[in-house]
Amino acid sequence: MGRLLAVCVGLALGLLARAEDRVSWEITPRVTAPGQPFRLQIVVESDVVLGAGQFISREIKPPRGMALRLSGQIIRPDSNEATFNFSGVAPEQLGEHVIPTFNLRFTRKAVVVPEIRLRVSDQVTYRREAQARAELVLPDRVLFVGELVRGAIRMRGGEDETVVASYGLESLAEGFSMAVTAERQSLPDELGQGLQTTFDLTPIREGVGEFSLNGIMLVQPGEAWLKMPEPGTLNQGGRDRPFTFRRLLTVAHVPERGRPPEWNGAIGRFVAEGLQVSKEEPEVGEPIRLRAILIGEGNLDRILPPDVRGDETWDVLPATERRQNRAEDQRMFVYTLVPRLPGKLRTPPVRLAAFDPTTKTFSRLEFTPLELTVTGNAPAQVDLVTADPAAPAAGQPKPVTGLATPAPNRSSPFFRGSPATSLGDAAGFWPANAAALGLVVAAMTVTGVLGYLAAHPEIRRRRRARAAMRAALAEAEACRGRGDARGFAVAVVRGLQAGVAARLVAEEQAMTQSDVERVLPGADRARLDDLFLRAHADRFAPAAPAAGAGDAAADLALLRRLLATR
Amino acid sequence: MKTFALLLFCWLAPLAAAGTAASAEQAYARGDYAEAVERWSAEIRSEGVTAARLAALGNAEWRLGRKGRAMVCWERARLIDPRDPVALAGLRHAHDVGGVERPQASAVEEYAAFLTADLWLLLSVAAFWTTVLCVAVPRLRRRPAGEVNQWTRVGALTVLALCAPGLWGGRVLDARAVVRRPDVSLRLTPTQFGEPLRGVAEGDVVRTERPFNGHMRVRTADGKTGWLRAGEIETVRGPGLPADLDQKAAP
Repeated sequence: MGRLLAVCVGLALGLLARAEDRVSWEITPRVTAPGQPFRLQIVVESDVVLGAGQFISREIKPPRGMALRLSGQIIRPDSNEATFNFSGVAPEQLGEHVIPTFNLRFTRKAVVVPEIRLRVSDQVTYRREAQARAELVLPDRVLFVGELVRGAIRMRGGEDETVVASYGLESLAEGFSMAVTAERQSLPDELGQGLQTTFDLTPIREGVGEFSLNGIMLVQPGEAWLKMPEPGTLNQGGRDRPFTFRRLLTVAHVPERGRPPEWNGAIGRFVAEGLQVSKEEPEVGEPIRLRAILIGEGNLDRILPPDVRGDETWDVLPATERRQNRAEDQRMFVYTLVPRLPGKLRTPPVRLAAFDPTTKTFSRLEFTPLELTVTGNAPAQVDLVTADPAAPAAGQPKPVTGLATPAPNRSSPFFRGSPATSLGDAAGFWPANAAALGLVVAAMTVTGVLGYLAAHPEIRRRRRARAAMRAALAEAEACRGRGDARGFAVAVVRGLQAGVAARLVAEEQAMTQSDVERVLPGADRARLDDLFLRAHADRFAPAAPAAGAGDAAADLALLRRLLATR
Repeated sequence: MKTFALLLFCWLAPLAAAGTAASAEQAYARGDYAEAVERWSAEIRSEGVTAARLAALGNAEWRLGRKGRAMVCWERARLIDPRDPVALAGLRHAHDVGGVERPQASAVEEYAAFLTADLWLLLSVAAFWTTVLCVAVPRLRRRPAGEVNQWTRVGALTVLALCAPGLWGGRVLDARAVVRRPDVSLRLTPTQFGEPLRGVAEGDVVRTERPFNGHMRVRTADGKTGWLRAGEIETVRGPGLPADLDQKAAP
């Protein structure tokens, strides 16, 4: 009885004893280099049959910077053991990283996994280029609300591994909207072997937000990419390689300072490609379509159509906008124009402004207007009314045109006159100026002549002497005619004295025969003596007539010779 | 009694003129541009031409779709006042939006547009006479020119030299005309059936070169030369109001 009681107590203790689970884990390698892939294996042994695993990776919270994904599990239905394999990539930060305690849930029970530690050291020899790796391409700058940010995940193969596929892309980004634009595209040749997934990211809220992106790429060792499996077939030799990115992004609003009034939300770099019209020679009142094509990189889809206003030459009506293929990176704004006047008209200006997030500056864009030839006749009067049917009926301001407000009463003191004729065409302007100029020239000439004469008195003296000589010559001729010998001599001598005195700058009365000889070299001295004696006979006693004396013609020739002397 | 009536007339006449001007502006403001044209034309005929009146008239003509008359008004307003804001805005608007072609102003023309042709002429004549008197007066007085005289002479000669391009530019600016007829063709020869070269539109401004056989040789804004009938264009230099081309010539 006692032995039976002991056996029962032992059985009861065995039944009442707490079931103990054993959990072991192993990281290979135990110490990794930054960014080095590793494998984590967790083995669970329980005292009961565990059953199927449920949401195994849901509760596991890897530390910041570590990528960890479940890559395989072994759970037999009739076994109380389970093995889980995880693929991971070590964080870039050195030190010991802890995966906190988490639960592995099975059909029958949940097993607590103790914290797992991974040590990251830079002492470990690891060549990053040898392994496949993922890179996040995203601009490292302040982003702006509404901006279209082009991003990509580049999954690059290494020397020892190739990337053959990717899947499971997950993103967590509050304050952003994300759209994958292309998946699993081959990398450009210059980047080597690999795949890339591109996405568009648009910040929708101001502030600092975390953008996280997780995924898995399938890598194969060696040059297996050269013999990649057919699409749709499972490659058994592959290995999962998770990647995770977390980045703090700063988002701001487009600055208000320097923002042009025509800015309609365009952020990026754009070029006004040009305008197109549906008809180049419309008639007055015939509607035509005007297409403004904008190309460039940026948030083309978010740009509000530029406001194009009508004027006295054009009515502008709203039109349905047609968008081109997004891949073409262009946007088309469509307007309906109605010409109001005939002639050569230019299309109304289409302007917009864009904000460049890289340089943080605004730029203005203007489409070059087209010149159209509008045929037909203009109405008698053009009313400037807006053609926008959505506009309120009253209080609508007149469209802005290039004409200034008339100010017919404005006057300027300097700018008066008539457009008919200029001052130069006025009668009497040029004659009056010419006459005045002639007077001035004449006055200056007279003044100059008088000044010259004043500076050269010999001119007047010789002129007077010549006059006196001519008078004396005439008088001598007269005396000769009436036989007055003395009067003849007096006249000739007076002429000679006048001419010689002007030459020698002396008094006429003081001139003698010697002075005449000085002025007229070679003159007959005897004749001169005879002339002077006859002229001044009343002063001297009578003398014997000299040879050759009494030749009146020779006397006159002497006087004429002196008159001709310059 | 007669004196009183005369005083009353002198007092009422400016009031009536002011009323005409105000009513023209009111008509323009309410969109009755034909009425505004009538009133401003009457004002110009009665009180004379000013740049502001011509520019206002040009605006009203433009609103009525009469591009040729509007361009004539604005161009003539600029002859009187080269910096009239209304005329400048109108010409710019016509060129940028209205499709009017206007020869690109050369550097000399830009320089000449700083003043009117009359002011350039007055300035150059004053500088010329200052120079002449600075030379003549010392000679007439038979005294050497003083330092002030020398500086005045240099200054006047400088002004005269600066006026030379203005005078030349003024002449070039005067040699322009506005196409007044719509759908006019530039002709190869100055004959009635001359071969049409290209079309010029109403309101286009052309440079005039020489008249011949009832035609005028012109050069368009894009450098094309040809002949236009004299009645198809109106020279920029002319009486204040644009010519009425629809009026029949007297028999």
